[in-house]
Amino acid sequence: MSDTHEVISAFLDDERFDSTVLVEALSEPAGRDLLIDLIALRHLTQTDSKDAHVLNDHKPWRSSLRALVAVAAVLVGLVGGYLVGERRRDVTMSAAPPATRVVQSPAAWQDIPVGRTR
Amino acid sequence: MAADAAALFAAHQHRLFKYFCRAVGQVDTARDLTQDVFLRVSRTTIPVAGDGEVRAWLFQIARNLALDHHRARLRRPDLSVLTHESARSPSQEVDLAVNKALAALADLDRDAFLMREVVGLSYEEIGKACGLTPDAVRSRIHRARLQLREALAGPIATRQTVPMRQSGRQA
Repeated sequence: MSDTHEVISAFLDDERFDSTVLVEALSEPAGRDLLIDLIALRHLTQTDSKDAHVLNDHKPWRSSLRALVAVAAVLVGLVGGYLVGERRRDVTMSAAPPATRVVQSPAAWQDIPVGRTR
Repeated sequence: MAADAAALFAAHQHRLFKYFCRAVGQVDTARDLTQDVFLRVSRTTIPVAGDGEVRAWLFQIARNLALDHHRARLRRPDLSVLTHESARSPSQEVDLAVNKALAALADLDRDAFLMREVVGLSYEEIGKACGLTPDAVRSRIHRARLQLREALAGPIATRQTVPMRQSGRQA
């Protein structure tokens, strides 16, 4: 492959190039083949299975574990809250609270039989 | 200054890591070298310049670290690559082939190629990082591509038959 095809590299890299030279290079089948191969090479180089490895060493199982712990904490909180509420309700229902004030009835109090209005 | 180093590192750590992954071919080493760049940057004065020049300066440090690593490995060959051959997936096989082909390139050709293709630096920035003129960068990148095209003819042919993602500059 001749060095005149350098213009294809420059074109691919979005660098300055002579458009006349590029047209000439791409008019040949070899130039077009090169362009296609270089695009494929770019994808080969940029696609790296190691990209899945995060720089800070975050492991998938760790994030799953964190999610599980978070769910467990929420469940414990809900169940605990429910049980505490149940206990308090039992206590309130078994013993009536002591009276804090005795309300005196007015002097002109009179009973009205049921079904009769004034 | 420390804040600037941290900001600079945060902005470029992923590119540095990707560059090292291809330059040295090992994830753990790439991670260590990326941290080493941060250590070096935090111990020195960041040049007061435009983004492009600072990027070039940063990758000059990265390149020197990668070269130091290669020199050390020549003295003490790494045999871990030869293990677990049967356990590799097809994509790992291609990765390994790419890394081997890259390792066979001349240092400057490989670095110029990786800085363009993986990092997305311009020819001018690569020239500053590698001590080359932009014209020399273009020639070296093209030469690297021709060598890689020959070495990776099989994977390239396979790649052309599957749909590809959007390409373009990463900068």
